[in-house]
Amino acid sequence: MVAAFRGELFKAVRRPGIWVLVGLFLGLAILIGYAITYLIYTHPPPNSSQGLPPGTTLSDFKIALYPENFVKETMSQWGVLGGVFALIVGVLLQGSEYGWGTIKTLYTQRYGRLTMLFGKLLAMFVVVLVIVLGLFAVDAACSWIVAHLDGKTSSFPAADVIVKAIGAAFLIFSFWAVFGFALATAFRQSALAIGLGLAYALVIELLIFGLLAGLGGSVVKPIQQWFPIANSSYLSQSFGQVRFRGLESQPVPYADATHAVVMLLLYVIAFTTISAWLTRTRDVTS
Amino acid sequence: MLSLAADNAAVIDTAVRRRPAAAVLGDKVVETQGLTKVYGKTITAVDRLDLDVYRGEVYGFLGPNGAGKTTTLRMLLGLIRPTGGTARVMGAAPGTPASLVKVGAIVETPAFYPYMSGRDNLRLLAMYCGVPMTRVDATLEQVELTPRARHKFSTYSMGMKQRLGIAAALLKEPDLLILDEPTNGLDPQGMADVRNLIIELGKGQRTVLISSHLLGEVELMCTRIGVIKKGKIVAEGTIDELRGAATLTVRGTPADLAQTVLVRDAGAENVTALGDGSFSLKVAAQRTADINQHLVQAGVAVTELHMDERSLEDIFMELTGTEGGL
Repeated sequence: MVAAFRGELFKAVRRPGIWVLVGLFLGLAILIGYAITYLIYTHPPPNSSQGLPPGTTLSDFKIALYPENFVKETMSQWGVLGGVFALIVGVLLQGSEYGWGTIKTLYTQRYGRLTMLFGKLLAMFVVVLVIVLGLFAVDAACSWIVAHLDGKTSSFPAADVIVKAIGAAFLIFSFWAVFGFALATAFRQSALAIGLGLAYALVIELLIFGLLAGLGGSVVKPIQQWFPIANSSYLSQSFGQVRFRGLESQPVPYADATHAVVMLLLYVIAFTTISAWLTRTRDVTS
Repeated sequence: MLSLAADNAAVIDTAVRRRPAAAVLGDKVVETQGLTKVYGKTITAVDRLDLDVYRGEVYGFLGPNGAGKTTTLRMLLGLIRPTGGTARVMGAAPGTPASLVKVGAIVETPAFYPYMSGRDNLRLLAMYCGVPMTRVDATLEQVELTPRARHKFSTYSMGMKQRLGIAAALLKEPDLLILDEPTNGLDPQGMADVRNLIIELGKGQRTVLISSHLLGEVELMCTRIGVIKKGKIVAEGTIDELRGAATLTVRGTPADLAQTVLVRDAGAENVTALGDGSFSLKVAAQRTADINQHLVQAGVAVTELHMDERSLEDIFMELTGTEGGL
């Protein structure tokens, strides 16, 4: 499997599409997470305080951009949305093999199909880890810059908190990447896999439970706790949320971090198993 | 022995099919028994195929479109799982590491990563195969791709892609090469180069199993041929064996003396008087000189002597019932 893993990394490192995606993601993290937000908080539009508690202004929200809150901010902003990018990585790494017909080249070299598959999955996890580390590095740097621009002193969270958050983000992103990988394996292409993956990530689960919410939280939440986006949210929220003046009350996650970790791990194992079964049993006709 | 039915639906009488002794042709490197692939419940792509390819031969796998050639080759590489029968490739089950490590292959269009150079594509395969990187440049040189090795695969012409495919197949110095239409998309010079390369590769102990539409190519390259139709082998043998007896036309005077000599040499059942003083004989091509000598020694003045051999295309058409559908 080492040879397969090395080969897959060799390909991933040389693939422009992967690095365009990573660059785009990190660029958005800077732009949306810090640059635009900082500009709005620094130069709030007229009447922007309407709807906020009395005595609270938008500039009070700047605290979220400082180093002490960068873990909370990163997890709440990208814990779910960043998964979409990981999903695309998973789809690209597997779906393109079918599109280019290279799947037959891979399977006629030396090792069995499952060895090649697990080598590819390992390489995918490395790419996902690079994305997660890049995200945390970029957000940490941005928060430090913002604090310095404002002349504030703010310290970073403890190292163990940062490491846990990186681990949590890695698990969430890995789930999405494996989900995309399994979709690409099932449909033997990238386009449909990305379409369905994005539809699920951005619409299906949220829409279904949004509509069911009309039945009341006591009915929906016990069901929702078994679904991946809900568990990604639970895990992200477990790092807490920034407390703003006048907005101290915060929603409490329905399930705890342990539940979320177990569920996401089960999803990773399930989609890996599905990919392995499909890979092992199906004919390669492309 | 090959039997050709009058309605062109030729089938092999398997009981007497030519099956050269392993001692003559070497041990079997590909062996299938009753190999079958059925898609769904109705489409039989390969139907109880018995195929033996021996070490050191260049075996041509011929058949019209949709005959089951590529499906068979894919089964031999483990890409497609048979629904019946068995196959052994290099002494192991198809698609297993024990088999793949000794097999180099091109299946249909060579497929590589378009964003990587030709050299990087081969370096990648070298990693997968566990062969030293020095083999990469050697194989690029062998297929004359070195000048373009640094360029992306996506910029390659069809011929260059095909040559890179051959380089990839040669990378692990395989004992068995499985080449599916290796001259596809090549210009005449490229086809000649690939043909010569395959002939060269087929020398010694290396075995080449090649499928092709190009009968002329197969005729030049292959030591033995199998013709497949509707998933079944309908003929197998050397090209001479498939051609069978040739037709020798003889004209000589006196005609009655000529007929006597010819009947003595070839047997009455193989001699047909054409009515204009000439005779048609069904004999092996290599007997022409002997017959000529016997006629002259008997005092016959030979005025015409020519051999009409059936082309591989004629044989193919007869066996498969196709008309230019290659």
